[in-house]
Amino acid sequence: MNQPRDFVIPGPVFCIGLAVFAAIYLALFLSSESQAAILVYMAAGGMVLLLNNMSELKPRLSEAIKGNERLCNRLAVAVVLALTAAFHADHYTLFLIGTILLYIVVVLGLNVQLGFTGVINFSCASFFGIGGYTSAMLLSKTSLPPLLALPLGGVCAAVVGSILLLPVLRTSGHYAALVTMAFALLFRIFLEVNDALGGPQGVPVRSMSLAGWDFGSDLVIGDLQMSFYVSYVLLGLVLLCLAFSFVRRIERSWIGLSLDAVRVDETASACFGVDVARWKITAFTIGNFLSGVAGALYAMMLAYISPANFTFGDSLIFLSILLLGGVGNSWGVVMATAVVVLVPEKFQVIQEYRYLIYSALVLLMIVFRPHGILPRKTRIYRPGEAA
Amino acid sequence: MDVGFFAQFVINGLMLGMMYALVAVGFTLFFGVLDVIVFSHGDVVMVGGFTGLSMYFWLERMYPHLSPGPKLLCMALVSMTVIALLGAAVARSVILRLRAAPSLNTLLATMMLGTVLRESIRLFYPDGANPKPFPALLPKWSVEYSGLTLRLDNLILFCIGALLIVSVHLLINRTRLGLAIRAVAQDEETARIMGVNFTLIVLVTFAIGSAVAAFAGLMNGLYYNEINFSMGLLLGAIGFSAAVIGGLGNIYGAILGGFIFAFLQTIGAVALPFASAYKDVFAFAVIIALMAWRPTGLIAEKTSERV
Amino acid sequence: MSERILDCTALTKRFGGLAALNALDIHVDRGEVLGLVGPNGSGKTTFFNVITGIYRPTSGVVTFQGRDISGLPPQRVYHSGIARTFQRSRLCLELSIFDNIMIGNHKRLDLGLWNNIFRRSRFEAQYEEGMERAARLLSALNPDLVARMFRPVGDLPMIDRRRIEICRALVGRPSLLLLDEPSAGMTHDETRQLMDEILNMGSYSDGLTIVLIEHEMNVIRRVTDRCVVLNFGQKLFEGVYDDVVANPVVQEAYLGKDVE
Repeated sequence: MNQPRDFVIPGPVFCIGLAVFAAIYLALFLSSESQAAILVYMAAGGMVLLLNNMSELKPRLSEAIKGNERLCNRLAVAVVLALTAAFHADHYTLFLIGTILLYIVVVLGLNVQLGFTGVINFSCASFFGIGGYTSAMLLSKTSLPPLLALPLGGVCAAVVGSILLLPVLRTSGHYAALVTMAFALLFRIFLEVNDALGGPQGVPVRSMSLAGWDFGSDLVIGDLQMSFYVSYVLLGLVLLCLAFSFVRRIERSWIGLSLDAVRVDETASACFGVDVARWKITAFTIGNFLSGVAGALYAMMLAYISPANFTFGDSLIFLSILLLGGVGNSWGVVMATAVVVLVPEKFQVIQEYRYLIYSALVLLMIVFRPHGILPRKTRIYRPGEAA
Repeated sequence: MDVGFFAQFVINGLMLGMMYALVAVGFTLFFGVLDVIVFSHGDVVMVGGFTGLSMYFWLERMYPHLSPGPKLLCMALVSMTVIALLGAAVARSVILRLRAAPSLNTLLATMMLGTVLRESIRLFYPDGANPKPFPALLPKWSVEYSGLTLRLDNLILFCIGALLIVSVHLLINRTRLGLAIRAVAQDEETARIMGVNFTLIVLVTFAIGSAVAAFAGLMNGLYYNEINFSMGLLLGAIGFSAAVIGGLGNIYGAILGGFIFAFLQTIGAVALPFASAYKDVFAFAVIIALMAWRPTGLIAEKTSERV
Repeated sequence: MSERILDCTALTKRFGGLAALNALDIHVDRGEVLGLVGPNGSGKTTFFNVITGIYRPTSGVVTFQGRDISGLPPQRVYHSGIARTFQRSRLCLELSIFDNIMIGNHKRLDLGLWNNIFRRSRFEAQYEEGMERAARLLSALNPDLVARMFRPVGDLPMIDRRRIEICRALVGRPSLLLLDEPSAGMTHDETRQLMDEILNMGSYSDGLTIVLIEHEMNVIRRVTDRCVVLNFGQKLFEGVYDDVVANPVVQEAYLGKDVE
């Protein structure tokens, strides 16, 4: 099944080259300040993608990536580490990288819900927020080790989500959409009127600390002075790696198969013993848990959270990322998150217009390219297995 | 609790209910003909309010001596016409194109469209990011009776709203156009075969629903004396909720749903006097609970799945 | 008398005022092929839907292998040993052939979170076993499909889709197989071929019993041991094929009263 291909360049070399290229490109993009330079980089990036799509390189590239999956995963981590090292003193850039990492975790969770199982969730920003407020409250009201706030944030999000389980299970389509949407609005209003949670002004969040390693102050190792965000980026990266491999393993297992079956045809699946309710519960809970964990760390990184961080509009942004990246496609999600977070932050001209631009883009995409930019491939169960 | 105080809540509830019913009627009409949820409808309401406001400023400049009555009539007519066209354009360019797509895609697309409308007003309307005061153009007479204030402007708004709903009802049930709309809602294929111009009927339905929404937008401005770019999101969610609890596709259900939602908010405000700010939280929580109890609304939509 | 595998008594299903099934008594003997015929809308598919738990019966009892299964949810009915195909093919078109077949293998899959996510060796073993099982079934029907196991089903022609549906139904080794119009969307020759293949599959699942809904009377004639004719949700006639076609009541139901 796995036929050897005679590459002009061997697959691993191809992948390493790609990673080096990506790292250099991202480093240039992140380090440039002038709007003109950023525009040039964006145009160049777009051109490269376009050329790749048209040229003969594309099938080879995807073959190389597919054949060297483990290597590619490691290279992706290496790229993030290299960027972190390169920008070790730059607060703002590191904050962006950290945001991207945590957003990816949320979208991966959403992918399990909507992409795999077809469970609609218009309130993932709320679950992200539940994680955030959990860590804010835990760190200020108790003396628990801050690391514990991460899993507890996830658990709280999952538990609150379980209140929605009954209506989510009983309804489908538009009705299910309404349930989660109503929850997103309810949650936002709740945060704004609740004084214990800081009301509309929000609450400060204490920083993470791990066995004496305080994430709130800059890191100094020898002569090297590093931004405190380095710590958050590293922890975020660990979190993302765990989430990514967790979601991958779900996809490549009987659980992933069951989730898919539920999405595609509930009735027919039930006739083959698929327990529809069980898988919807599983997917919904896993997704909310991931959002909650990411939210807990995000809140610590922000140091201050308010209801405005977790609105219905933010849920729509997460959904947009999923749609832009290709529903069900984990790598697509990674790329789309980077684009959606980075472009408006760096290309300041459009910062103000970003919601408008995203919504218009997603709207156009749903109308003209409904399967996303990177459509999902058929499932394989083991890395590198040929289809 | 004294009677006047209580009656005041009833009157406020009725006003809100009418406003919500006007929005919900649109949701249910669109669902009737195309089986879609057009979530941008709430933002169309908002754009209706802003169109009316722009018209007011234009009239102020051009005809400063015009009395409030004709001014308001002009605003209403222009706003309803513009929004009717906007609704038809939305149907033409987005909704009809997505007919073959899964319903989630339509819902998402219309949410994005709603965001586009909302953000456009925020960014491009002069000072659109801030709440805009809405002129009080209706007579300010009011009758007071043991703590109860009955305001004439509210009465007028309520009556016009009721009149609009009744005319939509008559239009749907008593005219040839309404017959065609009902035919399309029942069975698109058969309606086409019988010579109904499907696309035209869809566009007309969207125009009607949107015109009603435009009035809801004006009513919102006149009632609260203020409009803002983000009001459409909540109004859309409320209208959608109202249409769903009333049973999608059912006009009476939508009206009922609108008043139920207003009733819930009022109950929330009265029953939780220590925390009346929680009234929306309470109303949405009840909606979620209702969905768990009756997954397709109080007046259930007729569904059948062919296996 | 042979053993009854399925026994339905006074089975009734009402949709509003309409009785789609009306006090139906049907039994199926172990090892036989029962043909279910009748005009459109006579309740054949509803019968399948009630047995497999998609619809709850309004009244009446379904006994399968001595157990009362009436009103059980579909996944419980499946676990008791009934598998089915659908009139309009309901495969997951975007999933691969292997995935579709494995959905049918659900009762043998280990669905625990632990073994699937953390102890991959357990999963791998099951995966190998599943591959083997799927390959064996596919090679009996169309050996070409074995090499294309990870291609989406949507790329395949109708007859192969039907074959995969059959594999999906058989992979869990059911005792009773319900086939809902396997000939729909296929030519005569394809239908004939597919039916032969299905009958040969009997050896895969020992003592397979089949209930077949079919409009093609040729198919009914060739493969069934016994037929039940439905009309307006009621049993109109029961007997072997030759008696069915010779029966004037059946002819009337199919062709109308005024045919001389």
